Amino acid sequence: MKKLVRPLLILMLVLTACMLLSVGVGSVFIPPGQIYSVMGAALTGQVLEGDAEKYHVILLSLRLPRTLLMALTGAALAGSGAAYQGLFRNPLADPYLIGAASGAGLGAVIALSMNWASSPLGFLAIPMAAFLTALATVWLVYQIARTGKTIPVTNLILAGVAVSSFATALTSFLMINASGELRRAVVWLLGGSTLAGWKPLVAQLPYTIIGLGILLAMSYRLNVLQFGDEQAGQLGINVPLSRGWIVFAATLATSAAVAFTGIIGFVGLVVPHIFRNWIGGDARRLLPLSLIGGAIFLLVADILSRVLMAPQELPVGIITALCGAPFFLLILQKARKEMW
Amino acid sequence: MKIKVLSIFLVLSIVLTGCGLTALKEPPISVGDGLDRQIQLDAPAARIISLSPPITEMLFAIGAGAQVVARDSFSDYPAEALDLPDIGGGFSEYDLETIIALDPDLVIAGSIQTPELVQSLEELGLTVFYLANPVDLEGMLDAIRTLGKISAHNSEAEDLIAKLAARIQAVDEALENITPVTIFYELDATDPAKPYTPGPGSFYSHLIGRAGGENIGDQLDTEWAQAGLEFILVNDPKFILLGDAMWGTTPESVAARPGWEALTAVREGRVLPFDDNLLARIGPRQVEGLEALAKIFHPEVFE
Repeated sequence: MKKLVRPLLILMLVLTACMLLSVGVGSVFIPPGQIYSVMGAALTGQVLEGDAEKYHVILLSLRLPRTLLMALTGAALAGSGAAYQGLFRNPLADPYLIGAASGAGLGAVIALSMNWASSPLGFLAIPMAAFLTALATVWLVYQIARTGKTIPVTNLILAGVAVSSFATALTSFLMINASGELRRAVVWLLGGSTLAGWKPLVAQLPYTIIGLGILLAMSYRLNVLQFGDEQAGQLGINVPLSRGWIVFAATLATSAAVAFTGIIGFVGLVVPHIFRNWIGGDARRLLPLSLIGGAIFLLVADILSRVLMAPQELPVGIITALCGAPFFLLILQKARKEMW
Repeated sequence: MKIKVLSIFLVLSIVLTGCGLTALKEPPISVGDGLDRQIQLDAPAARIISLSPPITEMLFAIGAGAQVVARDSFSDYPAEALDLPDIGGGFSEYDLETIIALDPDLVIAGSIQTPELVQSLEELGLTVFYLANPVDLEGMLDAIRTLGKISAHNSEAEDLIAKLAARIQAVDEALENITPVTIFYELDATDPAKPYTPGPGSFYSHLIGRAGGENIGDQLDTEWAQAGLEFILVNDPKFILLGDAMWGTTPESVAARPGWEALTAVREGRVLPFDDNLLARIGPRQVEGLEALAKIFHPEVFE
C-alpha cells in the first residue's frame, strides 16, 4: 500500500495545481487577487457589481465547470484505457477499441442530421444520442464476439474493429448528405466542447462515478484475469461475468465522456502506459493513479488549447494527439533502452 | 415684449424636447427572432456583438456601426469592422470570456451559429437575438428593418430599404419580357470533376432567377450540391460563372479541365469570373450583385 499512497499524494498535489492554473488562465486576464475575492464572495453569497460581476460569470459559469469537466473526462478515459489494456492484455487497447467512439460519433451525427437539437430535449439531445449509440455499439460488438458462454478476447477486438469501421462509414455517409450541419459535426469529432456551463458536467457525473467505481472495485479481478481465462477460472473467478462488468463499466464512463466533450484521443492510451512504466501493472495501483493522471493530462492539454492560439481556441483533441504521440514514443524509446 | 415671447419659446422648446426624450425612452422594443422567440429590449441595443458577417455588414450599412463592440472572425466588411475585437468563429470556438468581458447588451447570432451556442450565451446571462438567414431579397430587406428596430436606426434602415427596393424593382421591370438564360454557378472546384454549385432554395438560386437566369443547380436535390461534368454537359448552360475566382479559378483553368471544352459556354467564351461576396454576403451588396448578374445575362436590356 505504501507504493500507492505516496504517488497518489504527489498526483493529488499536481492535480490541485493544474486545477488552480486552469481556473486562472483564460483569454480574459483576471488578477489573482480578484479570483480569490470573487470565489470568496461566491461562497458567502455576496452580490457583486461592475468588473467583479463579469469575473464572477467567467469564473463560476465558464472556467470552473470546464475545469471539472475536463478533469472528469480525463479520469474516465485514462481509467477505461487502463482497464481495457489489462483486460485485453493488449498494449494498444484504448477506450475506443471496441466501438465506443465510432458509435458515439454515429449517434451525434444522426442527431445532427435529423435536427434533434430543436426537439424538447434541447441541447442535451446530441450528447444523449451519442451516449446511447455508444452503449448500443459496444453491446453489439459484445454479442457478435460471444461464442457460447465465453467471449474470447481476440473475437472481441476483431468484432470491435469491424463494427467500428461500419459505424464510421455510416457516419461519413450521413455527414456527406447532411448539408449545413457539417461544421458542428467536425468540431464535435475533433473533441471540441460546444457546451458551456454546469449542465454537461451534471449530466456526465453519475455515469462516470458509476463506471469508474465499478472499475476500481474490479481491480483485483482485473489482475487475476491477466493470467489467462483458464487460470483465472481456477482461481475462483467467474471469467465471463467479470469481463462483462469491466467492459460495461469502462464503456459507461467512456461513452459519457465522449458524449459531452467529443472524441479526445490518446489520453486513454498514453496515461496508463506512463504509470505502468512507473509503478508496474498491478491494477489496484494502476487504476487509481491512471484516473488522476488522466485528469492532469487533459487539464494541461485544455490549458494549452486555450493559450496557444488565444483568443482562438483549438479543439482539445488536436492537442492531446500532438503532445501525446511524441511523448508516447519517447516513453517507448526509454522503456526499450532499459529492457535491453 | 420681445423678451416675453422669447421666454415662452424657450419654455415651450424645453418642454417639447423633454417630451421628445421621454417619448424616445418609453416604448420597450419587442422583436420576433429566428428561433420563434420574442426578444424584449428595454432600450435600443448600445453595445452589440455581431456573430456573423451579414449582420456586421447590415449594422454598418444603417449607421449602427458605432454600437458594434465586437465581431466574429469572418466579418471583414466594411473595413472599419476589422478594427473591432475579434471573438472567434470558424472551426475554433467562440471566446465566451471576452464576450462577457465586453459587457454587450445584445449578441446577434446568425444561422451559422448552433442552437447550443445561443443556449450557452443565454445561460451566461446575455441577451441573444437569432437572425435567421433570409433566402430572398425581400427577406434581406426585412432583416435590415429588424436590425434598424433593435439598434434604434429605424429611419436610416427605412431609407436604405427604400433605395434598395427601388433598384430591385428597376431590375424586375427591365427583365419583364425576357426569356431566362441557363446558368451554372461554380462555388468551389477543389474537386474539378465535381464542383460545388448552389441548389434549389439557396439565396444564390433566388438571385440568379431574379436576374433573368435559370440556375441549372435547381435540378439537384440539396442546397449545396456537387455537379459532375455529365450533369453540366446535359444542361449545357449559356453562362458559367466562377464564384471561386477569388481562390484562383480562371476561365483558362476551366477550359483546361478534361472534357469541359465540349461545353458551349467554354467554346464561346462565356465563362466569367464573378465576385462571390456580392451574392454570398446577405446584405445591401446583394442588390449590386443582382444588377451585375442581370447585366451579364441580358446586356441588350440594359443598353
